[in-house]
Amino acid sequence: MTPGIPIFSPMMPYGTGLTPQPIQNTNSLSILEEQQRQQQQQQQQQQQQQQQAAAVTTVTAAVQQSTSQQAPQGASGQTPQLFHSQTLTTTAPLPGTTPLYPSPMTPMTPITPATPASESSGIVPQLQNIVSTVNLGCKLDLKTIALRARNAEYNPKRFAAVIMRIREPRTTALIFSSGKMVCTGAKSEEQSRLAARKYARVVQKLGFPAKFLDFKIQNMVGSCDVKFPIRLEGLVLTHQQFSSYEPELFPGLIYRMIKPRIVLLIFVSGKVVLTGAKVRAEIYEAFENIYPILKGFRKTT
Amino acid sequence: MPGGGRCPDCGSAELVEDAHYSQSQLVCSDCGCVVTEGVLTTTFSDEVNLREVAYSRSTGENEQVSRSQQRGLRRVRDLCRVLQLPSTFEDTAVAYYQKAYQHPGIRAARVQKKEVLVGCCVLITCRQHNWPLTMGTICTLLYADLDMFSGTYMQIVKLLGLDVPSLCLADLVKTYCSSFKLFQASPSMPAKFMEDKEKMLSRTLQLVELADETWLVTGRHPLPVITAAAFLAWQSLQPSARLTCSLARFCKLANVDLPYPASSRLQELLAVLLRMAEQLAWLQVLKLDKRSVVKHISDLLQHRHTLIRKAFREGPSGVEAPAEELWGRGQGQEEVGNGSSDLPKGKRPASPALLLPPCMLKPPKRVCPTPPASTVTGDEDISDSEIEQYLRTPQEVRDFQRAQAAKRAATSSPNPP
Repeated sequence: MTPGIPIFSPMMPYGTGLTPQPIQNTNSLSILEEQQRQQQQQQQQQQQQQQQAAAVTTVTAAVQQSTSQQAPQGASGQTPQLFHSQTLTTTAPLPGTTPLYPSPMTPMTPITPATPASESSGIVPQLQNIVSTVNLGCKLDLKTIALRARNAEYNPKRFAAVIMRIREPRTTALIFSSGKMVCTGAKSEEQSRLAARKYARVVQKLGFPAKFLDFKIQNMVGSCDVKFPIRLEGLVLTHQQFSSYEPELFPGLIYRMIKPRIVLLIFVSGKVVLTGAKVRAEIYEAFENIYPILKGFRKTT
Repeated sequence: MPGGGRCPDCGSAELVEDAHYSQSQLVCSDCGCVVTEGVLTTTFSDEVNLREVAYSRSTGENEQVSRSQQRGLRRVRDLCRVLQLPSTFEDTAVAYYQKAYQHPGIRAARVQKKEVLVGCCVLITCRQHNWPLTMGTICTLLYADLDMFSGTYMQIVKLLGLDVPSLCLADLVKTYCSSFKLFQASPSMPAKFMEDKEKMLSRTLQLVELADETWLVTGRHPLPVITAAAFLAWQSLQPSARLTCSLARFCKLANVDLPYPASSRLQELLAVLLRMAEQLAWLQVLKLDKRSVVKHISDLLQHRHTLIRKAFREGPSGVEAPAEELWGRGQGQEEVGNGSSDLPKGKRPASPALLLPPCMLKPPKRVCPTPPASTVTGDEDISDSEIEQYLRTPQEVRDFQRAQAAKRAATSSPNPP
């Protein structure tokens, strides 16, 4: 049956050829094939661990198990205390346990922070951007604001809000006619709050009865550098349930940490971007969780 | 059922409630006389339970396969057949499409997205069976752009909660190289360019492994690396005849598209090979450059594990003199190699360079100073003068309004007098 799509098209952006027939393995085992076998073994191993983990009955038993398995292996580093993965539907949270749920698939680090196995990385992520919202509490006339403010731009055909900027702290605000405002670009929570107050004061001086209600930090973005290269292919093999690495789409690995709920972008150069935090402590905690994992992938052999 | 009434015709008491289509009637079961009949029409308020419900609010769409879903399933099967995939793949891909279609976000998506979803399901199936299929191939077949494809792909993987293994590099090398048209003589291709498939495959595989070990593959699209490696492998198998052929010409001969980053991957691969060559005793004296090193690729590949260990070192934990570490990674590798050495250059192999991804070897474009610790509390007083700098003076407002009016007048009358 020949379908209606034409087979030969002029542009093949990194297409491989239309009839990829995988060829049987030759006798010479290359490193890449070994990695592939390792991947399959890993999957089998994880399935076995899944079955074992379904028999875990108490949190303390799991902690004891993990401390005995704690010696970090060559390729896979320690994992942070993480919730069980999405793929596991059989293990249900146990009633009456502490808020920490064991991760049955991989060895778990102990709960208490002061442990000999994990030491502080000494690197502090820098905050790069804070997004906050505030309610000015009154309806606004965007045309008047755009007319009487110097630092405002308003193009209703493109976007239904006034874009206002101030120089100190260097931030941008989106002001909507309902009176709600979004403030972005600050480097710290206090700066974001000060900037939002300045925008509210500008709106006040323009003649509106602006208040400052429900100021809330919605998102915080931080970044840091671990200063060594990271084998992203290895990381995605051992932390498959949290990582997404598609070099055809994006050069970084997207790691979705469950506790705290932060998304990390990890690049081969060792730079890490952390986002999705509501408080600063989540960013620091996420980085302290990921650092031992990344250290495990430091050696190339 | 017999009520209290009697039939006016025959007097029998056997009256039955019988509906003639939608009209309810009371009929005598003996003589068939219609005793009473109901109203044929109903009012709007009567029909409160019979009113039409929109299809999307009924359960109909859960019970049957909608036409667009049928179309999508047919497209999935077509795509699997075009790619000549095994029949088991077809069933898996169809199952994924059906599962995806159950989500309301997908059901209500645009036709373009559903089309791209077809490709995503096929791609996921292939990846799970380690069948090397790139996103570029699928996007070309579906005439979709990669941005749309990537968005839908990430969404569907998250929605279905799937574990999709990475693209298998070794298989991709084999299938991609097999698609090169270099293995049979043809009128457009001279005999000296023809090559044996097995030899070229094995050498390309070794070169790609070398690239993988030296950080040229991580974080990059795999296909340009494979193209560069295949080109070097092909050149090195008969260097005398093929050194003059460029990468672009090679791709044209092989009837394959040249991916844009392939030339920079080629340069990176050659730089790695040159570093390795500096560690081989009989090649040091030859003072190789990027062209002449191609002739010795077979030697370099034979001893590649030792050479990599000797030519490169890990980070600060290297065995070399600590003075070299102080030079820092920001500086070029040439300086590290030529640093503090008393022996003349020719007699001593260059100091090992750092084995790092190319993005870490380049000097940083601009130095980002750490911002000074800010002492802002968020509750400071805001001076009036600071706010007033952001407000227009009344004169400015008038000027602005005049300018706007003039602009509007100019645009509304296109032919000014």
